[in-house]
Amino acid sequence: MICTGTPKTRGAARFLETTRLLTLVLVGALVWSVAGAGWGGGIIHTGGAAAIKDFSLALFPPELSPEFLKVALAASWQTVVHAVAGITIAVIIGLPLGIVASGSLGNPGRSRLAVAGVVRFLLAFMRSIHELVWAVLFVTAFGLSSLAVVLAIAVPYAGILGRIYSELLNDVPQGPLAGLRSAGASPARVLIYGRMPMVFTDLLGYSFYRFECALRAAAIMSFVGIRGLGFEIQLSLNDLRFDEVWTLLLFLVGLVLVVDYWSSKVRRSLQS
Amino acid sequence: MRGPVRSQITFARASLYAFLALAAASWAYILVGADSGLDDFFSSRAWGNAGGFLKQLLGLEDTLADGGRSAFLQLDRWAETGKLAYKTLLMSVLAISLAGLGVLVTFLPAARNVSNGDLGGKPSPVLGAVYHLLRLVFAFTRAVPELVWAMVIVFFLSPGVLPGAIALGLHNYGIVGRLSAEVVENMDPGPARALSSAGAGNLQMLAYGIIPQAMPQFLTYLLYRWEVVIRTTVVVGFVSSGGLGQEFRLSLSFFQYTDVALIILWYLILVVAVDLLSAFLRRMVRAD
Repeated sequence: MICTGTPKTRGAARFLETTRLLTLVLVGALVWSVAGAGWGGGIIHTGGAAAIKDFSLALFPPELSPEFLKVALAASWQTVVHAVAGITIAVIIGLPLGIVASGSLGNPGRSRLAVAGVVRFLLAFMRSIHELVWAVLFVTAFGLSSLAVVLAIAVPYAGILGRIYSELLNDVPQGPLAGLRSAGASPARVLIYGRMPMVFTDLLGYSFYRFECALRAAAIMSFVGIRGLGFEIQLSLNDLRFDEVWTLLLFLVGLVLVVDYWSSKVRRSLQS
Repeated sequence: MRGPVRSQITFARASLYAFLALAAASWAYILVGADSGLDDFFSSRAWGNAGGFLKQLLGLEDTLADGGRSAFLQLDRWAETGKLAYKTLLMSVLAISLAGLGVLVTFLPAARNVSNGDLGGKPSPVLGAVYHLLRLVFAFTRAVPELVWAMVIVFFLSPGVLPGAIALGLHNYGIVGRLSAEVVENMDPGPARALSSAGAGNLQMLAYGIIPQAMPQFLTYLLYRWEVVIRTTVVVGFVSSGGLGQEFRLSLSFFQYTDVALIILWYLILVVAVDLLSAFLRRMVRAD
């Protein structure tokens, strides 16, 4: 018997092809984006280099006077308030929408699927638009207020939470549910006594993770003019007070890291 | 094991109660505050305004600024904003490329099992220091939102696509960097150790023991972040110049609301297209 052709198996050949194609696509994207960025006219503008030096040196030390720390603390509190209020509404809207989107409520049939599909589309729309774009729209429509900002955080976050909640509710083991159903439980009871207890810890863990993201979202809400850490950062930047900028950045980082640590600890304690 | 399990459950429960208390305090603070906006939201005037705004977005109510024709009904306006959408897409790819390159260079020393020699390398105090430094950089770049990075960076760089891409890249560098380092920390040390005990050098171990395991996860995270980045690119365009974001702000301040609607349409098209493309590429990554 004469062997011709490559001794590769089909699987290996396919592996090579996919990897090569993928590499090609990714390298192509890299080259395209770097080439298209427009490097003419210098990357750093006139005076930029001096500004970078000033900015870096301003960290040693940052502004630590008691008056300014008070300002930073008040701004942090504002940011926390908006994040917490936003995430609570997001959970309140997201949970029922997520339950409907999971299709686990109501009698099986075409109408239930249709409702779930519509809600899924709604959730996708809510989370497609960035929270700051929502904020700009809400502020234009309703005027500048805390509530407009809180809603701007709540809408996209409800979209994300609703999707995750519905996926979690669908991914439960079916055994206990079948047991409940055969005992004559209605879909609502299957949900309350079957699905909910099984996913509760995951729901809580994920919601806590989203709280951390909401904190960042609240910080940039200053962009529409609401007070908070981002607002103070913008003010200090305009005054060229880079030492104040650093203080505020450190407050923001500290806040995010505290919540990050808290939420990871909650998730770890729920997993074990 | 009853003791520790019970105390952990009470920690989660205590956290829940602590959060509820925080929520109550926050809502009290907002509602008591003078600018809560509560009465705005429940006044008929505000809803009338909002309805009028919505009508103007949809081009149902003429505004002088529009010149009487809705922007999204004019082909040349589609073409003009299409160019901006292209710029926005470019910015998002550049941002994720920068973040990816940065992570590729730094994620190995940021993994604890690499820096302490668990995978077969030699431990050294320098590696330990690099590990802590990188983790600090990841935490810092991650904690600062893209828009704040952009605010700072436009102080230094010439306007264009680049400042926005760097701002987006920095934030995502922290996120993907941490996740990728954790992939290395959680991966099966078998292949790397086997290679090392068979006499493979550090580079060989990297190429055959670590990279093949970590690469698919790294690419998957990068593609997931790209989906987030395309949503955020518009926002970063608010402060840095270029792309849909800047045009969005300008149109809004000139009361050209049908232009705003057109930009939101382009934005949604980009979001959906990137989601689909990313899902396709992720399937390719997993097919390996």
